[in-house]
Amino acid sequence: MKQLKMPAAVDMHPNVTPLIDVVMCLIIFYMLVAKIGVSTGAERRIELPKSVQGNKLLDPGNTITLNIIKGPRNEPFVTAMDPAKGGARLEEFPLLDASGKPLLKFLKRVRGQNNEFKAVIRADQNLDYSYIEPVLICCTEAQVKSINFATRQEEQVITKGR
Amino acid sequence: MRLKSAQKVHYDSGPNMTPLVDIVMVILIFLMLTGTFALGEHFLQSNVPITSKGVGGVTPPPGKLPDEPLEIRVDGFTAKDQSGQTVDMWQAQAGGYTVRNDRKVLAEQLNKMRIAWNRNNTPTEKIQVQINPSRITKYKHLVEVYEAALDARFTKISFTTAH
Repeated sequence: MKQLKMPAAVDMHPNVTPLIDVVMCLIIFYMLVAKIGVSTGAERRIELPKSVQGNKLLDPGNTITLNIIKGPRNEPFVTAMDPAKGGARLEEFPLLDASGKPLLKFLKRVRGQNNEFKAVIRADQNLDYSYIEPVLICCTEAQVKSINFATRQEEQVITKGR
Repeated sequence: MRLKSAQKVHYDSGPNMTPLVDIVMVILIFLMLTGTFALGEHFLQSNVPITSKGVGGVTPPPGKLPDEPLEIRVDGFTAKDQSGQTVDMWQAQAGGYTVRNDRKVLAEQLNKMRIAWNRNNTPTEKIQVQINPSRITKYKHLVEVYEAALDARFTKISFTTAH
């Protein structure tokens, strides 16, 4: 009886297994590290001051980010994301006078919903204190319990002594 | 001459990976385009937004002794550096000492003051550092002064209304 032989398979395709391995690793990395569809309301254009000290926020979901910028008439101007509106866009709170009533109302309303929220202050490193002061006054009047000044991490050069 | 290998039948063993690779590539590109990474940000925390120098002062609850205030007066100004360019500078005054544009020196001075207060039975947690800036002081300089106070191991640091 004649024995049937399977012909040897010739693999015409490139081996994609290492490619899939690498791509899968990249996907897992991005899924773990990237924040998709999550916005804290931080204005990325603001150039934060450098600092060495400082801590990471332990509870970033419990914060309201207040971006302090110069308004169109050189007045203090605050943008923030309103949690009641679903965080679709940044709300604007002009501070033409030191009373800052719209911002104060907003902070009081947020505190009414969440008594333990923290405020994150984001301001340009070259901004004068006169722009920051009315925002701090509003935070005090609204009885915000914790203020966090956002800074960017300064690269530390460690040199070994001889 | 005919090639023998061309006559051989190709048996594709294993599942077809092409659709998987396509989908995985689409997911990867989507994640790369839409994702934002946590920036290298960190935060200087204060439990008192602003202390009293007029409006907005925090009054301690009844029965609680107020903290001992340590005021650091900060002024911002511009000066010309060695190359003739105008640069922003700061000057801090605390406890009769004046420090210009040097965070480390200010931290050392504040640390000496803290030790002296501790020797007089005032614990560090009962000292309220109050940074009192002028209206034109730059925010970056205030952060430097704030850090100097942290370097000196003060725990309660706040800002006051401008002088």
